Amino acid sequence: MSNYKKTIGIEVHCELKTNNKIFSPALSNYGSMANTNVNVIDLGYPGTLPVLNMDVVKLALKACKVLNLNVSRKMHFDRKNYFYPDLPKGFQITQALTPIGTHGYIEVTKKDGTKKRIDILEMHIEEDTCKSVHGEKNSLLDFNRAGVPLIEIVTEPCMETSEEAVLYLTKLRELLLYAGVSDCKIEEGSMRCDTNVSISKTEEWGTKVETKNIGSISNVGVAIEYEAKRQEEILESGGKIIPETRRFDDKSLSTISMRVKEVGNDYRYFPEPDIPYLNIDDKFIDDNTNDLVRMPDERRESYKEAGINPINIEKIIANKDISDYLEKFLDINLVVASNLLLGDIASYLNKNDVTIDKTHLTDSKFRDLVNRLDKNEISNKIFKEILVDLMENDLSIDEILSNKGLNLVSDKEEIKKTVSEILDKYSDLVNQYKSGNERASKAIMGMIMKETRGSLSPALANEVMMELLNE
Amino acid sequence: MSKYIDKSLNEIHEALVKGEIKPVDLVNECLDRINKNNLNAFITMNDKVIEEAKELEKMEVPKDDLFFGIPIAIKDNIMVNGMLCTCASKILSNFEAIYDAGVIDLVKEHHMLIIGKTNMDEFAMGSTSETSYYGTPINPWNKERVPGGSSGGSAVSVAGRLVPLALGSDTGGSIRQPSSFNGIVGMKPSYGRVSRYGLVAFASSLDQIGPMTRNVLENANLLNVICGKDDRDMTSVETNEDFTRLIGKPLKDFKVAIPNYFLSDFVDSEVRNKVLEIKEMLEKNNVKVDMVDINHIDMAVILYQIIAMGEASSNLARFDGIRYGYSYPDPENLEDLYLKTRQYGFGNEVKRRIMVGSYILSGENAKIYYSKAMQIRDDLQKSFKKIFSEYNLIIGPSAARCAYPLNSGKDDPLHCFMDDILVMHANMGGFPCISIPIGFNSEKLPIGLQILGNNFDEATIYQLASFIEKELNLDLEGGKVSE
Repeated sequence: MSNYKKTIGIEVHCELKTNNKIFSPALSNYGSMANTNVNVIDLGYPGTLPVLNMDVVKLALKACKVLNLNVSRKMHFDRKNYFYPDLPKGFQITQALTPIGTHGYIEVTKKDGTKKRIDILEMHIEEDTCKSVHGEKNSLLDFNRAGVPLIEIVTEPCMETSEEAVLYLTKLRELLLYAGVSDCKIEEGSMRCDTNVSISKTEEWGTKVETKNIGSISNVGVAIEYEAKRQEEILESGGKIIPETRRFDDKSLSTISMRVKEVGNDYRYFPEPDIPYLNIDDKFIDDNTNDLVRMPDERRESYKEAGINPINIEKIIANKDISDYLEKFLDINLVVASNLLLGDIASYLNKNDVTIDKTHLTDSKFRDLVNRLDKNEISNKIFKEILVDLMENDLSIDEILSNKGLNLVSDKEEIKKTVSEILDKYSDLVNQYKSGNERASKAIMGMIMKETRGSLSPALANEVMMELLNE
Repeated sequence: MSKYIDKSLNEIHEALVKGEIKPVDLVNECLDRINKNNLNAFITMNDKVIEEAKELEKMEVPKDDLFFGIPIAIKDNIMVNGMLCTCASKILSNFEAIYDAGVIDLVKEHHMLIIGKTNMDEFAMGSTSETSYYGTPINPWNKERVPGGSSGGSAVSVAGRLVPLALGSDTGGSIRQPSSFNGIVGMKPSYGRVSRYGLVAFASSLDQIGPMTRNVLENANLLNVICGKDDRDMTSVETNEDFTRLIGKPLKDFKVAIPNYFLSDFVDSEVRNKVLEIKEMLEKNNVKVDMVDINHIDMAVILYQIIAMGEASSNLARFDGIRYGYSYPDPENLEDLYLKTRQYGFGNEVKRRIMVGSYILSGENAKIYYSKAMQIRDDLQKSFKKIFSEYNLIIGPSAARCAYPLNSGKDDPLHCFMDDILVMHANMGGFPCISIPIGFNSEKLPIGLQILGNNFDEATIYQLASFIEKELNLDLEGGKVSE
């Protein structure tokens, strides 16, 4: 066990899910051909001016809400001045002095069951730079990314283990995803995590080292452990930690030095004169956050109460589309509904590569289906038979069943007639039951379903059978 | 050749409506004068202007559009799609605009004909147009004297009667001072009145585009059509008024203030006396004129140096040789590309201001200088606002002296700032301010009066300006070129 205590802070950049860029009308999306989502503003052409996309502010306010941040009521943007080819104007428009959110937190639950509050220092809005692709002889620039809106979320140096860091990022990602703020796809760069790690034997912090380029949340944990070990080895062998920026290499699972931190980096910040100060009042905050959906923890509670097993709960939460879909059906049997969505329906959707809203399974049809399965009005076997029709036809469940000759008889008198005929036919089984073999009822029920090809309502048939047997 | 171009805008318009002349005739008159008299007013001519003028013949002249078919000159820091936009700098000497500025959209909407792009100080940094990469434009009143700046080419083109209208830009007097040196009317509108979209930024919080014309009425009319809210400039504002509406109205209960500072010792005595003559004339016409003191009025030059230089150092960072403009052809590495592109691409005055601005925003200096300057700027605006609560307008000389000899400020970088000492208050407070000619000095050089109004009160400025213009009835054709 190491004598050193780790101190960890995390900076996360997330691309906001707006249609357009933060200061230009160009589209903001991923995967377009290079330099197609570009206009004169993104290129930093002389004479162009930034026009703030208010959707950016609205999404950022949602993020503030789910991260418990205080909203700056009077905020402005600042210019961060430096030269680099990926920075078309020679400055980045960001928020240095009045970040939109300050002093928030999120709470995580550790493996041992204890809770830990992770403090967030601030969250600010800024524009992304363009993407450089370095070749052997030259470098190419893709301006599609220039001006894509970002939020940067900076924690206090308040984490002590890589577990806390991983839990924080998992939770953060979940919240931002559910708030509809960002896609949070690390592999596409829409979520980027940088860590600051220092180690110390005393209360005083050690020298912090930044690690960038970490390609997954679990690798953040790996990078922190590697970095702490690397620093410990240096200190133990009498060395000194130099403040630097390193990058994570996912092949060797180690960190590699990129550059030594320049002393007194001078970004010459000053308020962006082309964007007026923005006043944000309670009404504006409410108007833009009251459509927030329920966050994952609240949903977990509902699922737990409904009796969904823990494994399935996490499966649902991990698939926001399914969870969002379920939000419409909180009043029906969630176990049945979630089993369908995680099971047969999920297989159908995967197989056919469609989303549920593109099928013919309307909300009312789904509700009907779950209720009938719940009340045993449809057997699982019949459900499997009609699944494709449910998804691909514009017909009600009754219409599908009758087309297939699978209409369930639910008229009690009619059922009674059919069941007594079958009981007559299988009198030996009936006798077995009557002489005390209770399990014989199961066999009789099987015969009823077989003889009627499952055309009777199972629940009613069972009820009628028991009545007749016990007469 | 008929001299329609010298007639008033109303008369030209009438002749167009009646079919006496066509837009192309006006264009030819302008081009003829420009070609015969080399005032170096233009950096780039519009080689399609004849074609564009003939295109207008297909349309009926709209009776309600005073500007249909009227030639106009545009300062070369305003984007006109398809034309070079050099800002009089080597670094943009090959830069062709690929979009129209907000004002150019309006100029084209009203079917004005863009004759060319006018000469100026490099990136509008200077007071004499001598920092231009393309040589200094010539003051048509006296070739040995500076034309003023930075909108020197625009001022010269109107004073020389090469064109009836021009657009300039004003960050610290760049419309008003050359207007004053050239005996024309130049207005810096309220900050936000005219869209800055497509104006190459010098100091974003001070820059404003404005009209430069032969007389007050035409100036107000031109402002009427170039102003307005532009969704591409967040600092622009909606305008729903006619700036000519008070012209000719009596100056009832009118009160005007003259700051003592505006008549200090540094102001040339001939200029000072001319302003005092105006004071007397106004008083004779029952206008109350008071000498006043205004807090912080002496701070304007210092504030300008800090705010304008700071913003400029950031605004000009984009000229790095990577995407457009001059790029040093054979750099050793990235840093070398930046250094050499900017070393050879920018002139000395621009480099000086970028260096000062970078220093001002550097580290702790941002607090010591820039933030402090912004506070004092607020106070300065408030102390002017206080005057406007008691007086309709503030007047004073546009420049401390008349056009001075060429090259006189060469070895003294502070020289030109001190010369603009009277005009920067309007930019600091975002106030509208006009310069109008009020006479001549003993060397027959024009003297300008500036009239400063409260924010968005251009109409009252035009009212007083037009009254003075009418009372003086000056012959201002002394700068007109020969034919």
